[in-house]
Amino acid sequence: MSLKHMILILCGFYCVMGIMPLFFGDTDYIMNILIMILIWAVVASCWDVIMGFAGIFSFGQVAFYVIGAYSSAILSVSLDIPPVFSIMMAGVITGLFGVLVGLPCLRLAGPYVALVTFAVHMTLVPFLRGPLGRAIGSGGSQGILTIPPIKLFGLAFSSEQLVPFFYLTFSLTIICTLVLVLVIKSYWGTAFLALKDSENFAASLGISAFKYKLMVFALTSFITGLFGALYAHYVGMLSTKMLSMDVFTILMIMMVIGGIGKYPGVVVGAVITVTLSQLLAPLGMYRPLIMGAIVVVLVLFLRDGIISPIIGLLSSRRKVGLVEKSLKVSSKGK
Amino acid sequence: MRKTRFLAIIFTFVMLTTTLVFAADTIKVGVPLAETGAYAGSGDNYWKGIDMAINEINKGGGLLGKQLEVVRFDSQEFAPEVVMQGANYLCGKMKVTSVHAGWAGWGQDIRAYGKYDAPFFCDDGAMPAVEVYKSDPEKYYNTYFITDTGGDQANSMFNMLTALPYEYPNKKIVIINTDDAWGMEVGDTLSKQFTKIGWKVAKRETVPYGTNEWGPILTKIRRINPAIIHIEIPSSQEVITFFRQFIKQPTNSILSYGWSITPLEVLTTLGKDADGIVGEMPAGMPAPKAPNAKAQAWVDQYMSIYKHPVPAGSWIAYTSVMAWADAVKAVGDEYDFKAVNKHLKEAGYDGLQGKMKFGKNNTLHAQPAAPIVHYQVQDGKLVALFTDPPLKPYGEYKFQVPRWIKK
Repeated sequence: MSLKHMILILCGFYCVMGIMPLFFGDTDYIMNILIMILIWAVVASCWDVIMGFAGIFSFGQVAFYVIGAYSSAILSVSLDIPPVFSIMMAGVITGLFGVLVGLPCLRLAGPYVALVTFAVHMTLVPFLRGPLGRAIGSGGSQGILTIPPIKLFGLAFSSEQLVPFFYLTFSLTIICTLVLVLVIKSYWGTAFLALKDSENFAASLGISAFKYKLMVFALTSFITGLFGALYAHYVGMLSTKMLSMDVFTILMIMMVIGGIGKYPGVVVGAVITVTLSQLLAPLGMYRPLIMGAIVVVLVLFLRDGIISPIIGLLSSRRKVGLVEKSLKVSSKGK
Repeated sequence: MRKTRFLAIIFTFVMLTTTLVFAADTIKVGVPLAETGAYAGSGDNYWKGIDMAINEINKGGGLLGKQLEVVRFDSQEFAPEVVMQGANYLCGKMKVTSVHAGWAGWGQDIRAYGKYDAPFFCDDGAMPAVEVYKSDPEKYYNTYFITDTGGDQANSMFNMLTALPYEYPNKKIVIINTDDAWGMEVGDTLSKQFTKIGWKVAKRETVPYGTNEWGPILTKIRRINPAIIHIEIPSSQEVITFFRQFIKQPTNSILSYGWSITPLEVLTTLGKDADGIVGEMPAGMPAPKAPNAKAQAWVDQYMSIYKHPVPAGSWIAYTSVMAWADAVKAVGDEYDFKAVNKHLKEAGYDGLQGKMKFGKNNTLHAQPAAPIVHYQVQDGKLVALFTDPPLKPYGEYKFQVPRWIKK
């Protein structure tokens, strides 16, 4: 997708999101959905960058999210570090962890990367619940119950004050989205795509797989960890239930709906998935049925996700415009 | 294409607006339960009790002359943001007058519903939830824990196991529990209590949900040959597979399943094979014969509707709806939350098994009117051996030495 179209879609999304609290600021129910959309949009975007653009089959996205959440919670609860700093530190810790996970993955390909990264996900539960986790302050099977809210300029940001928290998340989301767009559209993004299409050919052009793959692991895990930390201070408590397959599945549905490697499709995917999942909650068991049906329909009829028809529409208009322009030029010439 | 687009718009509009439409002459009752995911089974057990109470009230002319209207919400697997969303939806948007949740989380529910004033009844059964309540009792004044915590229930299990009319061949116990707050709480308490009286905890195994291959653990158990094997896994599949693999080469051990005996699927699957296993139900209804005619009529009605015995959660969920309705009736205004909460706390409720009252930390501690019931499976059914407190034999039912124990 061209940078222009990408910015157009993202601007539309953020403009709409930005004014939402003016209409729904008093409705906690809607505000909660909006905040979760913002958080998931970034987490899913990171996954899309690593999987869709860099072509690395990483299944450790939820694990990075949880590592960020737990890191910030432990730092702020056990060491009394103010949440503003603990969130940043959590991002750095998760980034370093991403590099650690990325290193063995560089020697692997395809399904083996998926296995290693998913193994990280699987080992987190026993680690956090076990004596090692308890020793570092994970709270074991009970989890962490008293995560303090973020305090900035005398203002408290938590689930008790939804509008301030929304705008805090909104600002962070815009910054991280800009970073991701810059990465995708820069030389790095092109290098990711080249490595994804043909690693050998990319290497012959001087693109270092080691450097770029490690970089993508570090960057996406840093941002994911940052938003995991933000989530921890939003909900005020954590447990290893965050690592359930439910969270993993929801994140995957966002990717499928949005289209893998079709950024910013995944942002649209996050909006649809979170909204549907929350609005359908009163329908009980019909919620997963409807969600499942949507995924099946999309996989069958819109393999490139819901964003592909929009891109098609925008591109066809552009083509029509170009044709009209060339016709005008040629008629003038005559 | 246009028609499809039009239909899609109509569908979206209906989805978004139907929940906003409500009739003013009904009283809304919020029911956030796990309807999907790993805990959907226990969610269904609570729902049956709640539904029965709502139907009974509505058939009797409603509450304050109005019919009760249930507003449900799927709490899924209790992710904090989902629980928060449930509270915002039910209390904030739908303006329900009370919330009947069953098992609703491990503390995030207390925070989420503590933002509002509508009475919130939950069966969290673990200390973390109580700790959240204790962090600000004034804020969370509308929370009601409808059963004791895991630790208190484990103390009762210990008392029952040591009171069984049975001579243990040795003083060795093996404890297997899940790796969540509930399992750890029960396992720790039992371990402490048995050690205190000179028993040896020969093996303590903490397992994740989904453990169905018991070979390595059973090999060790067979080597130990303990007098008691206690299993605390509140999920049917794991305890069923354990029994199936244990019974192939059993040890001379009393099989104590704790709360794990109560999921409906355990007995419907194992049937008479499970004869001999002991277990408990907090705030339970003694069976097969209920303690009085009123309670027996309720059990009969339950069985005629659902065609199965009363599982854990059903009766106490029913009772919490009735207790709330009783308070609303006394106050005369379903939205006067302060007065309804005050009534619930101070007046208690005259239930099917007697007068019950919420105690310390707004918890319905085990009491004669809402006892912890200790059962043994006999002839494929749950038979009450003891009720607690005080721990005393129930009715004429007698403990039977399990068939796999060789004399």
